[in-house]
Amino acid sequence: MDMSTWNILLVDDEVEFITTLAERLELRGINARVTHDGESALKEVAVNEPQVIVLDVMMPGMKGLEVLQRVKEAHPKVQVVLLTGQGKTRDGIEGMQHGAFAYLMKPLDLEELIHTLKDALQSGRGNRHD
Amino acid sequence: MTDIAGEARFMGAVTALTMHEMQNILAIIRESAGLMGDILKVNARVDFKHRPNMERTLEHITTHVERGKGLLEATSRLAHSPDDDMLDSCDLAVHARVVALLSERLVRLKGASVNFTPVPAPLPVAVGALRVLMIGYQSVQWAVGSGTKDGHVKVELEPGQDFHIMTVVPPQGVTPDAKALDCIRKLLDDGRLEWDGRMLRIFFPVRK
Repeated sequence: MDMSTWNILLVDDEVEFITTLAERLELRGINARVTHDGESALKEVAVNEPQVIVLDVMMPGMKGLEVLQRVKEAHPKVQVVLLTGQGKTRDGIEGMQHGAFAYLMKPLDLEELIHTLKDALQSGRGNRHD
Repeated sequence: MTDIAGEARFMGAVTALTMHEMQNILAIIRESAGLMGDILKVNARVDFKHRPNMERTLEHITTHVERGKGLLEATSRLAHSPDDDMLDSCDLAVHARVVALLSERLVRLKGASVNFTPVPAPLPVAVGALRVLMIGYQSVQWAVGSGTKDGHVKVELEPGQDFHIMTVVPPQGVTPDAKALDCIRKLLDDGRLEWDGRMLRIFFPVRK
């Protein structure tokens, strides 16, 4: 798969985390846009629909699970990978019930994220749980 | 649940929030170290005097972020153990692993280590998470006794029909205090425990 064609949106209110993650993806030839809250994420999705959103569950303002539901209602083809806390599998499971493709725990394993992105892009639909 | 449920919930809620912040801090450290490692790799041909020191330091950061990740998960599970859906039942497979993670420091202070053997499938038991963690932790504490050199406390699981069993094996040569078993026994409302002189077996009723 040509990773330079991937259209990824990263959403997390932890600015240093998400911008560094975007830089690391960029070093591997993956272009990822970044937003820092749920409202901006929804606006970004409306303007330029990504193939996959990597979405933090716990953000101030609109929570990740609400963003997930709104994205899935308006853009059902967009795959969503949730970022949850260590030991908070409950959030991940709830997200899967609302149509998330997978959930990963923070701190992330970059190779696992890339692998999950690849799977999400390859499967038009269908969920996977890590 | 006991009459300290309110206090346990308060402590759990505050700890869970703090753990969430810790998780973000670790995530930033991990990604930042990862980016530095990436840059070193991209510039592998560029030699500079302190490259080995830098690579070694990044390795340390990565190793200890992993260590922190385990502790974070365990503490987060502990913090969520007084939650409503954890009061009467939990997954023994998960919480036995948490016991091993949480007791690592305690056991290391006694000159030993904890060996946990995971099981692949969930083991639902009709005992609350906080209670399982207390029983497990106190059992490890009991097993390590007054200390040993280079010993291992083994924590293992045995799935069963009516009971799932957590086995705690003390280090060789350590004779744990038999009286301490009474404290653990008191925590087991519907379960039981057996000590055969070699290993402690704690029986948790299966959640039907």
